[in-house]
Amino acid sequence: MPESALDRAETLLDSSGRDANRPEPNRLDVRVDPKDLLTAVASLMDARWGYLSAITGLDNDSQLEALYHFCSGADIVTLRASTDRADASLPSVCRLIPSAGVFERELSELFGIDIQDAPDTSRLLLPDDWPLDVFPLRKDTDVSNVPSVPVLSQPSEKNRFVVPIGPQHPALKEPGHFEFTADGEVVTAASLRLGYAHRGIEKATESRSWIQDLYLLERVCGICSHVHALAYSLGAERLAGVTAPPRAQAIRELVSEMERIHSHLLWLGVTAHEAGFESLFMYTWRDRETIMQLVEDLTGNRVNYSANVLGGVKIDIDAARAHALLNGVDFLEQRTRHYLEEVGGDETFLRRTRHIGIMSAHDAEVLGVVGPSARASGVLRDIRAEAPYAAYLQFPVEPVLRHTGDLEARVLARVLELFESYRVIRELLDNLPAGPLVARMPRRIRAGETISRVEAPRGELFYFLKSNGSEHPERIKIRTPTLCNMSSALHLTVGRYLADVPMLLAGVDPCFSCNDRSVHLNVAGDTWTWQQLSQHAREFYA
Amino acid sequence: MLNGALDRIRAWAQINSPWVVHFNSGSCNGCDIEILATFTPKYDVERFGVKLQGSPRHADVLICTGPVTRQARDRLKRVYDQMPAPKYVIAVGSCALSGGVFQGCYGVVGHVDAVIPVDIYVPGCPPRPEAIIDGLVKLLGKLEGTAAHA
Repeated sequence: MPESALDRAETLLDSSGRDANRPEPNRLDVRVDPKDLLTAVASLMDARWGYLSAITGLDNDSQLEALYHFCSGADIVTLRASTDRADASLPSVCRLIPSAGVFERELSELFGIDIQDAPDTSRLLLPDDWPLDVFPLRKDTDVSNVPSVPVLSQPSEKNRFVVPIGPQHPALKEPGHFEFTADGEVVTAASLRLGYAHRGIEKATESRSWIQDLYLLERVCGICSHVHALAYSLGAERLAGVTAPPRAQAIRELVSEMERIHSHLLWLGVTAHEAGFESLFMYTWRDRETIMQLVEDLTGNRVNYSANVLGGVKIDIDAARAHALLNGVDFLEQRTRHYLEEVGGDETFLRRTRHIGIMSAHDAEVLGVVGPSARASGVLRDIRAEAPYAAYLQFPVEPVLRHTGDLEARVLARVLELFESYRVIRELLDNLPAGPLVARMPRRIRAGETISRVEAPRGELFYFLKSNGSEHPERIKIRTPTLCNMSSALHLTVGRYLADVPMLLAGVDPCFSCNDRSVHLNVAGDTWTWQQLSQHAREFYA
Repeated sequence: MLNGALDRIRAWAQINSPWVVHFNSGSCNGCDIEILATFTPKYDVERFGVKLQGSPRHADVLICTGPVTRQARDRLKRVYDQMPAPKYVIAVGSCALSGGVFQGCYGVVGHVDAVIPVDIYVPGCPPRPEAIIDGLVKLLGKLEGTAAHA
């Protein structure tokens, strides 16, 4: 019998880890001492065993635990490192995995684990006025009345021009904040601040019931709401030992692909808008309404469709709806062919995309890029194919790979994926299994841990669920694809022209538009008045 | 006499072409994509003269989505303060109206009208584009009333 990937990982971790066990057939959990963490991570990375998908923090009373989840295909290796609550600290793994920076910043802010030798310790998620010693995801933290502390302004460095983008912009889907340091027109450094939409959902899941959480988690993202509910439902069902019936699984896949179509068309429109191709923006959004109408006919809502329940789905599809869906897919396929000609043949558009923002397969792997952005660089990362869930085993999709790794490849990868979605929708409708829609869920979900991964339109969506056997989950950790892709987008902007920045950001699908033009000058903590500013300008240019 | 005439001219101009700026203070994007959809061909709110603008300094109407997060509260105020008067605010979606499903989350301070004054409320999770258009048209009707009384 050939050695499995998990066996290989167990051999690699033999010297640095202990207590290896397999909680589920595709998972290997290994305890690691904090001082051996870097050795353990290095042995996995040196052998090119998968990529770091997420870091989950857990509060186990006197100890805080960090779970480093490495994924390779369907297999998941979790390194579990515990540290004392009173003096919590872990070494940074950024030296081995540069993309781990955002995960570590999240861990240190929300759990108060000090990350030694971290390259960037600035705030990522919590508000500016949040006290430095309040860690919301620790179980004993009361988050109902957290005091506000004065915001210290950052001392500005001389001789550099910073272009801030966000948090407010009309086409900005996510209120993030970027700072690009520019030398003339060329970007020399880029930094990221998130948290404008940080609501504290992970903490909120712990005080709501398993059923309430389904509706809360569906609202993590309004664009890919179905995959969030799906990842959660699949995880909760696995913990409860329930499998949804085949018809429910097929309908879950159907809605996933419909969601992918609306999301990719939305993205194509926004990218066209960033490139100044307004007519393509308007046409794609007009055609997107076809799929929105079909989603609404099927589920009753345009955005948060609530197709899932724990144990199955609550919507069914009849002959009339199937017929309407097939007609809609025919129309969209013909339109998508036209878009393919436009984005692949329009000279002006190609000048904004071809050979721009090239990310090699190696960079994509090292930076932990997921989804269509990784596939555009020739890295096969598609959970639908690697670890099929719902009905993807019976109704598989063929991942679309491109190899040039530039913006053009990222556009083409998404447009070509649309054809794959149309094809699989037809196949699903022709062969929809008969039977019930829901399997009975037990009243309580038994204690345990599980990991649920699904392929969102933007890439791998990662859920870690822990149940303590009560009405409420013990811990739910969500790692969205954009968190992985954002650091790669920033990496790509360095050395490029400022004018390419909006396209490069949009290339990984977090939709950002042109540069914010209001520069907020802070000098020694004071905000300048208009008079001071004009005085400064006169003196500066004199 | 002269002031009354100026008010009428201003209201007339606003009714015919209100410029809109959009701010997301912690939304899940659901309302935001529906707002963008109202500006695209199927719903085409531009037929009422409504134009989406990039800068708050050019805008008459602020459309807000999402619960207000702690980090965004100050930014929401700043965006509102940058708009020239007279200005109007439309709160779109359950979260903007009440905090919605995110009530009680530690990052959320509340609903939009706890931070800035709101003129029109559009409920829904998310509201349909038709409902957003209805909200905008109701605001225009309100302005028309002001113009008639000025």
